[in-house]
Amino acid sequence: MNRIAVTAVIAVGQLALVGVGVAPQLSARVTGDTYLMTVAPIDPIDPFRGAYVALDYPDLRHDGSEPIDAAGLGALDDGEEGAVFITLVQEGDVWAAGAWTRDRPDSGPYLACDDRSWQIRCGIESYFLPQDQAAATEDLLRDGAVAEVRIDGRGNAAVVDVRAP
Amino acid sequence: MNASAPPTTRPVPPRELAWLRSEVADWASQGIISEDQAARITTRYSADTHTRFSIGRVLLYLGGGFVGIGLIWLVAANLDQLSPVSRFIAVTVIWLTFLVGSELLASRRVSPPLVGAARLLAALGIGAVLFQAAQSLQVPAFEPRLLGLWSAAALLHGYLTRAYLPFLVGVVTGVAWWFTQPLWDGPSGLAVVMLFGAGAVLAAGLAVLHDGRLDAFARTWRAVGAAMALLAMFVAAIPDVGGDDVTWTFWLVSALVVAGVAAAVAVATRPGVRALEPVGAIVVLVVATLIGLWTTGTSTSDVDTADWLHAATSVIAYVLLAVALVALGTVREHAALTWMAMTGLVVFTTFQSFAVFAPIVTGAWLFVVLGTVFLGTGFLFDRARRELAQALDNDTSTSASTEGSDR
Repeated sequence: MNRIAVTAVIAVGQLALVGVGVAPQLSARVTGDTYLMTVAPIDPIDPFRGAYVALDYPDLRHDGSEPIDAAGLGALDDGEEGAVFITLVQEGDVWAAGAWTRDRPDSGPYLACDDRSWQIRCGIESYFLPQDQAAATEDLLRDGAVAEVRIDGRGNAAVVDVRAP
Repeated sequence: MNASAPPTTRPVPPRELAWLRSEVADWASQGIISEDQAARITTRYSADTHTRFSIGRVLLYLGGGFVGIGLIWLVAANLDQLSPVSRFIAVTVIWLTFLVGSELLASRRVSPPLVGAARLLAALGIGAVLFQAAQSLQVPAFEPRLLGLWSAAALLHGYLTRAYLPFLVGVVTGVAWWFTQPLWDGPSGLAVVMLFGAGAVLAAGLAVLHDGRLDAFARTWRAVGAAMALLAMFVAAIPDVGGDDVTWTFWLVSALVVAGVAAAVAVATRPGVRALEPVGAIVVLVVATLIGLWTTGTSTSDVDTADWLHAATSVIAYVLLAVALVALGTVREHAALTWMAMTGLVVFTTFQSFAVFAPIVTGAWLFVVLGTVFLGTGFLFDRARRELAQALDNDTSTSASTEGSDR
C-alpha cells in the first residue's frame, strides 16, 4: 500500500472514530423527534467554552428547588451515580419530567442523562450562539422562552433552537 | 559470505563508533587485521543516522507538543467568535494539514525529527478534532470513551506508518482510558489493583508479540507493563485497599479478558523463555489481587501480627518483582526497567515504613531500619545483576563457539 493510500486510510479511519465519539448526539439531531421545554437562563459566558447560553430547565429539576439559587437539574441523592433516565410527560404545549429512574424505561419519550458529576446532565444544558446573539437570547430567556429539543429513541438529546413560546 | 553484496551501513551510537574505531586501529597496528580490513569494517558503521537525543530533536518534539496542546487550548478558550461548526471545520483542517504534511515530509525523506514533530502534531490534532466535535455537539459531560477513541485514532496512525510518536500518544491516552473507563462505572480500590495487573499482562503480551517486528514499540510496551506491575503491587499493599466490594462492570471484565487473550496469543506464538514475561505478569495480577483482598484493618495505632504479616508479604512480593524486572532489564538491555524497579522499591519501602511501621518504629530508628532494608536490597540487586550479566556473557561465548565449530 503506497503512502497516499495509507494516509487516506488513516484520515478516514480517524474521522470514523470521531463519528463514533459523537454518534449519540448526531443520532438525536438526525433521527430525533422535537419536544418543547420551558427554559430559564443561568449565566451567559463560560470562559472555557466560548459564547453560549447556559440553559436551566425548571420542569426537569429533580428536587424542585429554585433555579436562581441552585442552577441545574439537581441530583438523585440515592447513594449511587451513573445513568439517570427522565421520563417526559406533556403539560400543555411543553414537556416536563414525569419520573427519574436508574433503569432505562421500556418506552419513550425519555431523556438519557448522567449524574457522575455534581448534578444530572443530559446534554441540553447549553446552547451555542455568537456573542451578539447570546446577549439577545439572554433577554429572551428572562421574559420566558422554550427550547426545541430533539430526542431519539434511546433518549439522546440535542438543543436545536431557543425561542419565545 | 557473498562478496558481491553491497555493504550496508548500520547506525550505531557515536560513543560506540568511537570505541570501535580505536579498537580496529589497535588491531590493525598489532597485525591482527590488515589496514584494508580495518577500513572496510569501520565504513560499515555510521553515527549520522543513529537515533539519539539532540538539542534539535528535543526542541522539535517540545515545539510539536506545545503547539498541539496550544491548539486544543485555543479551540477551547478563544475561538468564541466562531460557531461550533466553524470551529470543528477549522480544527479538522489543521489536523488534516499536519497529517498530510507529515506524510509528505516522510515521503521526501526529510530529517526524521522534523517528520516526527509533524506526526506528533497530527496525533495531538486528532484529539483536538474529537474533543471539538464533542463540544460542538454538546456531549453531556466528560466521557472516558473520548480518550479511548483518541487512543485508537493515534494508534491507527502509529501502526500504519510505523511512526513512534503517534504510537506514544496512543499509548499514553490508552493507558488513561484503561483506568478511567472501568472506574467511571464502578470505582473501587481492588478494581484499580486488577486494572494495573491486567494492564501489566496486556502490555507484557504485546511487548513479546512486537519483539523482532517493531522493537521500538516493544520497548515501550515493556516499559508500560513494568510500570503497571509495580503500581499493581504498590496499590495492593496499601492497607485495606480491598475493603470495598468490586463491581464487575462490563469494562472491567473486558479488560481482564483482553489481557488474558494477549497473554495467551503471546505464549502460543512465542513459546520458550519469552513466554515468562506474560506469565510473570499474570502472577503479579494474581498475587496483587490476593494481597489487595487481604484486609487487616485501618487502625494506625494498633499494629498486630496480621498487619506485620501483610506488610512483610507485600515487601517480599515487591522485592521479588523488582528483582525480576532488573533481570528483565538486563536481559533485554532495557535500562528504564532497572531504574523503574529501583525507584519503585525505594518509594514502596518508604511508604510502607511510614504507613505501617511508623507507629511502632519511630524517629531515628525508622531511618536506620529503612536504610538497612535499602542496603540489603541494593546488595542483592547488584549481585543478581552482575551474576546475570556474567551468565549471559558466558552463554553468548558458548553459543558463538558452538556456531563456529559447526562451520
